Amino acid sequence: MRNRTMKMVVAYLLTIFILLFLNFLLPRLLPGDAILAMYSGHETLMTEEMYAELVRMHGLDLPLHEQFFIYLTELAHGDLGYSYICHASTADLIMGALPWTLLLVGTSFILSAVAGIVLGVESSWRRGGRFDKTLLTFMLLLDGIPSLAIGITSLTVFCLYFGWFPSTGAMTPYSGAEGIEYIKDVLWHLVLPLATLTLSMIPGDYLLIRNSMLLTIREPYVLTARAKGIKNRRIKYLHAARNAILPFATRIGIRIAYLITGALFIETIFAYPGLGLLTYHAISNRDLPLMQGILTVSVILVLLINIVVDLMYKKIDPRVGYAY
Amino acid sequence: MHIKPFQEFAKDKIGVAGLVLILFLFTTAILAPVIAPHDPWDYSASAFQPPSREHLLGTNDIGYDIFSELLWALRTSILFGIAVATITCTIGIVLGVSAALIGGMYDMIVMRLADALLAIPTIMVLILIAAYFKPSTTVLIIALSLVLWQTIARGMRAQTLSLKTKLYVKAAKNTGAPTSYIMYKHIMPELFPLYAMGFVTKARIAVFMEAGLSFLGIFDPTTKSLGIMMSYAMRYLDPCFGVWFNWLLPPVVALSLLIISLGLISYAIEEIFDPRLRRNNVTPI
Repeated sequence: MRNRTMKMVVAYLLTIFILLFLNFLLPRLLPGDAILAMYSGHETLMTEEMYAELVRMHGLDLPLHEQFFIYLTELAHGDLGYSYICHASTADLIMGALPWTLLLVGTSFILSAVAGIVLGVESSWRRGGRFDKTLLTFMLLLDGIPSLAIGITSLTVFCLYFGWFPSTGAMTPYSGAEGIEYIKDVLWHLVLPLATLTLSMIPGDYLLIRNSMLLTIREPYVLTARAKGIKNRRIKYLHAARNAILPFATRIGIRIAYLITGALFIETIFAYPGLGLLTYHAISNRDLPLMQGILTVSVILVLLINIVVDLMYKKIDPRVGYAY
Repeated sequence: MHIKPFQEFAKDKIGVAGLVLILFLFTTAILAPVIAPHDPWDYSASAFQPPSREHLLGTNDIGYDIFSELLWALRTSILFGIAVATITCTIGIVLGVSAALIGGMYDMIVMRLADALLAIPTIMVLILIAAYFKPSTTVLIIALSLVLWQTIARGMRAQTLSLKTKLYVKAAKNTGAPTSYIMYKHIMPELFPLYAMGFVTKARIAVFMEAGLSFLGIFDPTTKSLGIMMSYAMRYLDPCFGVWFNWLLPPVVALSLLIISLGLISYAIEEIFDPRLRRNNVTPI
């Protein structure tokens, strides 16, 4: 167990090192002037004194290690920098967008996991049958359709052609709706992005669970359970599926990273005001501080989820504790 | 190896379907300069022409022929997929196999680095790198390869570790075979399934990433790319333009077909090389 914890800690430290490298060192290693980049468009108005004053104000005249120390202190205080394009604190912009992404990604994670597990278990149980073959072919095809394509198609069909769902935003602006009406409005805006993200995640979950189930149902204990005359449904879900979802549990951290990537495209397509759309705006305006802030937050988010999964994993699979 | 991979593959309907599809797309992409009726970088008719005999998919907002653009974009996608998959697999194999053979501190550093990369949302890193450097295709290919190698390296390392303990490898060693000979003759062939699987999987991710990143506007806008086509077509999505059928749909379908074919092939490879998943293995239930 100590070995495992050690590995975890080293990996996390390395992740954070890569993050710091990207956010702190890379911009300083590259050619170009930070001050001119920040105030681009106003260079002609800038005098020598103003330039010197700005360099001093931003601490760019300090030695590198002192700059790094300041960077870490600010980061620890939750200061992610200032966006010179939006004229707002990066942390505020991100905090405004984060809840929407969490709503989208969290709901989609649960829905796709449940659908993937149930379909995978049922499919593997009826291996080679018509249900299994149809579902497998369907899932393989669905797996091939990128989330980008699903999103664009559903936007065209359901928003523009039929006009059933709104094409932008997470709620109707200035509607003044409260209580139930507000929740209804938010859900109505959530339907299409959520459906797209979930549909793009289900095949991966399904194929993983199906393959893992195919191996699990050949275990002797499943045969024993059958011999004891336990009901099929009980064997499927309480005996076999419990072990078959282990590979799924290991991959939760990776899946979250995938989901965040998927959300990036889907939020852009549906103009859903989460981190993805914020990233898109940051790209189109070349807003570097905002990009760095988003990278920091998403890495910390994924790391936290990984830590939780790692801690829970011993509970899910007690063998892990003994093996090391 | 007790499996005849090519014969097994020929028997697998799903795999063959994927292969036929990818060969079709591949040929189209290679022949793009021959097939394309117009220069996709030049004005060829007035803007927003509906599909006609002269312009199979009509023209876009600045009068470029969409069909020609599509062919060239497919070329970019496939090139990107092959390049990234090759570089990623090479990095993965070298790091994975060497980590297993050398071991010790080197092994630990490589593997923890792989763990660390797994937790970072790849796309955010790419976006940041693309924002710092000029986003040329080469830079993006290299950047993408640098963040995708970890799964390959892990697989290669695990397999090499288990091969190292095999009796025939020990026998070869005892008869005085040099390490390079053992690598070439005994270890590399056994790694082939992993290599094939990794190549297809990574090509698939790369194709998706290329389309996605160019959709977000990271690519050089003069490159022909499926993602760029989609993002421009999205701007004229309003029903009154009526361009979604001939402008938006083609790149969406092309991208889907490309990714589906790679997905089918990777599924078939997985089933062939993991004998436990094979259909002729009768399960007790």
